[in-house]
Amino acid sequence: MSPSSRYQVDAAQSRIDPSVTTVLTQTVARLLLVPIFMVALAILVKGYADVGDGFSAGVVAALGVLLQDVAFGYRAIGRLTIVRLAPYGALAGALIALGVTFVPVLTGEPLLRHRPGAGEPVAHLGALELITPVLFDIGVFLVVFGFAVGVIGMIARMHPRPIGPSRGTGATGGDEG
Amino acid sequence: MLAVPFSLLLFVSNGTLATSGNTMDGGWQFNPAASLLALAVLSGPLTWLVGRWRPGLAWVAGALLAGGGLTTTIVAIATGDSGVDVAWAPSWGLRLAFDLDGLARLYALLATGIGLLVVIYARRYVPLHLHHQGRDEREAGPFFAAFLLFMGAMLGLVMARDLIALFVFWDVTALASYLLISYDRQDANARASALMALLVTGISALGLLVAALLIEDRYGTFDLGAVIAAAEAGDHSLGLTTGILIVSAALAKSAQLPFHFWLPRAMAAPTPVSAYLHSAAMVAAGVFLIGRFYPLLATEPRLLDGLAVVGAGSMAISGVLATTRADIKQVLAYSTISQYGYVVLMLGLGGQGHYGAVAAVFYVVAHALAKTALFLTAGAVTEATGERRLDRMGGLWRSMPALAAGSGAAAAGLAALPLTVGFFKDELFFAAALERGPAAVAVAVGGATLTIVYIGRFWGGIFLGPRRATADPVPLALVGPVVVLGAAILLTGVVPGPVARLAEAAAAVSLREAMTVSPAYHLDTRPENLMALASFVLGGTLLATRRFWSPAAMGLARIGQRFGPARAYGRGLDGFERFSGAMRRVEVRDLRGRVATILLPAGVLVIIALIATPTRDAFSFGTIQRGDAGLVMILIATCGAGIASTLPRDHLSMALTVSGVGYCLAVTYALFGAPDVALVAVLVETMFALLFLGMLSLLPRRVLAEEAAEPENHHHGRRDAALAVIAGVIALVVSWSALSRPTFRESVAVDYIELAPDAHARDVVTVILTDFRGLDTMGEITVIGIAMLGIAGLLRRGRLR
Repeated sequence: MSPSSRYQVDAAQSRIDPSVTTVLTQTVARLLLVPIFMVALAILVKGYADVGDGFSAGVVAALGVLLQDVAFGYRAIGRLTIVRLAPYGALAGALIALGVTFVPVLTGEPLLRHRPGAGEPVAHLGALELITPVLFDIGVFLVVFGFAVGVIGMIARMHPRPIGPSRGTGATGGDEG
Repeated sequence: MLAVPFSLLLFVSNGTLATSGNTMDGGWQFNPAASLLALAVLSGPLTWLVGRWRPGLAWVAGALLAGGGLTTTIVAIATGDSGVDVAWAPSWGLRLAFDLDGLARLYALLATGIGLLVVIYARRYVPLHLHHQGRDEREAGPFFAAFLLFMGAMLGLVMARDLIALFVFWDVTALASYLLISYDRQDANARASALMALLVTGISALGLLVAALLIEDRYGTFDLGAVIAAAEAGDHSLGLTTGILIVSAALAKSAQLPFHFWLPRAMAAPTPVSAYLHSAAMVAAGVFLIGRFYPLLATEPRLLDGLAVVGAGSMAISGVLATTRADIKQVLAYSTISQYGYVVLMLGLGGQGHYGAVAAVFYVVAHALAKTALFLTAGAVTEATGERRLDRMGGLWRSMPALAAGSGAAAAGLAALPLTVGFFKDELFFAAALERGPAAVAVAVGGATLTIVYIGRFWGGIFLGPRRATADPVPLALVGPVVVLGAAILLTGVVPGPVARLAEAAAAVSLREAMTVSPAYHLDTRPENLMALASFVLGGTLLATRRFWSPAAMGLARIGQRFGPARAYGRGLDGFERFSGAMRRVEVRDLRGRVATILLPAGVLVIIALIATPTRDAFSFGTIQRGDAGLVMILIATCGAGIASTLPRDHLSMALTVSGVGYCLAVTYALFGAPDVALVAVLVETMFALLFLGMLSLLPRRVLAEEAAEPENHHHGRRDAALAVIAGVIALVVSWSALSRPTFRESVAVDYIELAPDAHARDVVTVILTDFRGLDTMGEITVIGIAMLGIAGLLRRGRLR
C-alpha cells in the first residue's frame, strides 16, 4: 500500500477515528461496560415478568461492546476475548435453542413442548424462573449477541492498519485473528 | 428415511408388529410384507455400499436382494395377505401402512422376478457396454445401485396403503429412472432423454400429490383402504379433478398419449434398463396405479371412458408407428406404448363388464414376460453384430439358434399365437371387448393385428431372410435369461392356471369382489376364437403386403414428429430456459436490477392483494383527541425525518437521518403502549446506525466524496421521483386500508393474553417469542446464524474475499 493511499484511508476514518475520542470518552466507555452487561442480564432474567427478552438483552450487550469499539477503535476490540469467542457463543446459542426445540420430539411430543407444563409448579431463583422457555431465550440471547459482536469483530479485523490508542503496542504482527 | 428400517427391525424383533396373516403359535412369525418393505428401503443403499467396496460384487448383491425379494414374494403368494402398520406421523394422520395384497403380490413378483433375470443379464452386459465406451469397469457399481433402488421403490410403491408413502415411492422410481437412463452420462442425448423422462413423469407426479391432498380433504384420511371403504359406503364420489390428476400421473408413467414421447427417447438407456423399466416396472407402475385406485375411479364413469379412448388411441397410433421404425429398440418402445394402450383400454372397458380389470392384469404379466425377453434379445443381437437397425440385420437364426428360439417364443407370445400365454391375454381382451359391443370388438381386432405386424417385422427382420451382418458369439448370460423367459411363456401357455389365479387375486383388489376366469383352449367357433383368427389372417396379410402401405405409415410418423406433443415439450423447455436466462441477466446487471427483481414482484402481489381485499369499512378517517397530541407530534417528526433523509448529499448524513426516522418510530411504539417493541426498535436502530458508520469508515473517503459531488442526472431524477411517488402512494393506500379496518375482539391476541399465566409469564411479548410462536423465533435465529456464516465466508481472515 502506497503512503498516499494509506493517508486517504486514515482520512476516511477520521470522522469517527477513535484517536479523536478523549480520555473522558474512553474512561466512561470502560466504566460502562460492566453495568451494560448487568442491564442485559437483568433484561434477560426478568424477561418473563417484565419488559425485555433474549433478543433485547443480546442487542444491549452487543451495544456495550460496540461502545468500546467507538471509544478504543476497531483494532483494540478485535483483541478482546469476548469478541473472539462471540461466534462460538452464537453456535452454542443455536445448539441450545435447537435442543429445546427438538428434544421433546425424541419422546414423541410436539416440537418446542416446554417444561413444566401449564399449572405445574415452577422453581424460582430470585426473579429467574427455571423453565425451558427461559433456556430457549438464553439461546436467542447468545445467537443475537454472538452475531452482532462476531460481525463487529470480523469487520474490526478487516481494518487495514491499527488505529486508536493501542497504536503503539498493536502495530506489530499480522492483522488477522 | 433411515429410521424406517431400524424401527422395522425393532418392531419385528419385539414381535409387536401389526400382522395379518396366518398366525402360528404366538411369538415371532415371518411377515413377508415387513421383509419386502425392508428390501424396498435397503436394496439401493446396500447395493451402493457393496459397489463402493468391491465394484465387481455389486451385481452379486443385486442378485441376492432381487432373489430374496422373489423368494419372499413367492412365500407371500403361498401364505396370503400380510401387512405392516406402524405410526409414522400420527399428528398428521400418517401411518406407515403397507399391504401385501393380491395386486401388490403380482407386481412385486414382476419387479423381483424380472429384476433378478435382468441383473443376471446385466452382469455380463454392463462391463461389455462400459468396455465399448472406454469407461472404467468400476462404474458398474452405481448401475446396480440405481437398478436396485428402482426395484426397491417399486416394491414400496405396490405395497403402500398410505397415499403419502405411495407418492414418495412413486417419486423415487422417477429419480432412479433418471439415474438409469442417463447412465451414459457423457452422451448429451442420454442426459436430455433422462431429463425428459424425469420431467414428464415427475411433473405429473405432483398431480398425484395434489390428488392425495384433495382426497384427504374429502375423506379425512390418507389411508387408501379407509378412503375406498368410505367411497363404497356411498358417502362421496371421488370428484372429476382428483380423478384426472391420478389418471394423468398414471398415463404419464405408462407412456400413454399425449405423454408417450419420453419412452422412445428413453431408449438411450443401456438395454437392461430398457428391458426392466420399459417393459416390466416403470411403465407397469402407471397401470398399477390405475388398478390401485380403481374402486375410486369407478365412481366416475367418465374417467373410465376417457381411459378407454386414450388407450385405444395410444394402441392404434403407436402400433402404426412401431411398424415404421428401423432401430430395433425403437420398434420395441413404440410396441410398449401400444401394448400398454391395450391395458389402459381394458381398464377403461372394465367399468361395465368386469372382464376388463382381470384381462388387464393378465395382460401386464404376459406382456412383461414377452417384452423383457425381446428387449434382452435386442441387446444381445446388438452386442453380437454391432448393429441397431433392422435393415442391416437378418438371417441370424443360423448363428444364434438358442436366442432365436427364446425370442421366437416371446414374439409369439406377444402376437398371441396359440400355445403361449399371450393367446389367453388376447382371449380375455376379446372377451372384455365383446361385453362392450361392436366398436370395441373392431378396435380389439385392429390392435391385435397391429401387434402381429410389428412383432412379426421385428423378429423376422432380425432372424429370418438374407444374412446382412456377421454375428460374434455372445456370453451365455446374455442368452440364458431370454431362453428362460421364452420357456416360461410356453409353459404358462400350456398351464395358464397359476397366472390366472394371480390375475384373479389382483383384480379382486381392484374390483373389490372375487373374480374368476378360466383360460383354456376351446376348439369351437366362439366369438373370441373368430376374433383371434381374424387378427391372424389380417396380420399375416399386412406383413406380406408391407411395401404397399408402409409409405402411408411413414407419413403418419412424419406428421407426428411435426405436430406431436414432443414438440410442445421442446418449446416449453426452451421458453422456460429463455425466460430464466432473461431474468438472470436483469438480476445480475446492477444493484438496481437486483433490487427490482425482488421488489417489483412483491409490489405487484401486494397490489393484487389490495384489489382482491373487500374495501367495506376501510379507508375511513378516525378522530384525533386531545390525548393524541404527543402521538401527532412524533408522527410529524417522523415525516420530517423521512423527508430530510432525501436531502443530504453525503453518506454520513443520509445514514443519520434514516436512523432518525427509526428512532421516531420507536417513540411511536412506546406511546402506543408497546414498551418491548420500542426497546427492540431503539436497540436495533442504534446497532444499525453504528454498523452503517463502521461500513462507511471502511470506504475510501475519496470514493464517497466523488459520489456526493456527482451532478444529479435530471432524466433519472425525474424517473426516480415518479417511481418513488407511485411506490409511496401504494404504500399509503395499503397501510390505510389495513389500519382503518375495524379490529375484531376475537383476535388471537386476546387468547395470548389469557394464556400467558399458564405459560408462567407476565410479559406476553416474551411468551409469544419463546413459547406461543417459538418456532418462528427458531426460524429467525436460524436466519441470523446463516447470515453470520455468510459474512464470515465473505470476510475470511479479516479480508474481503
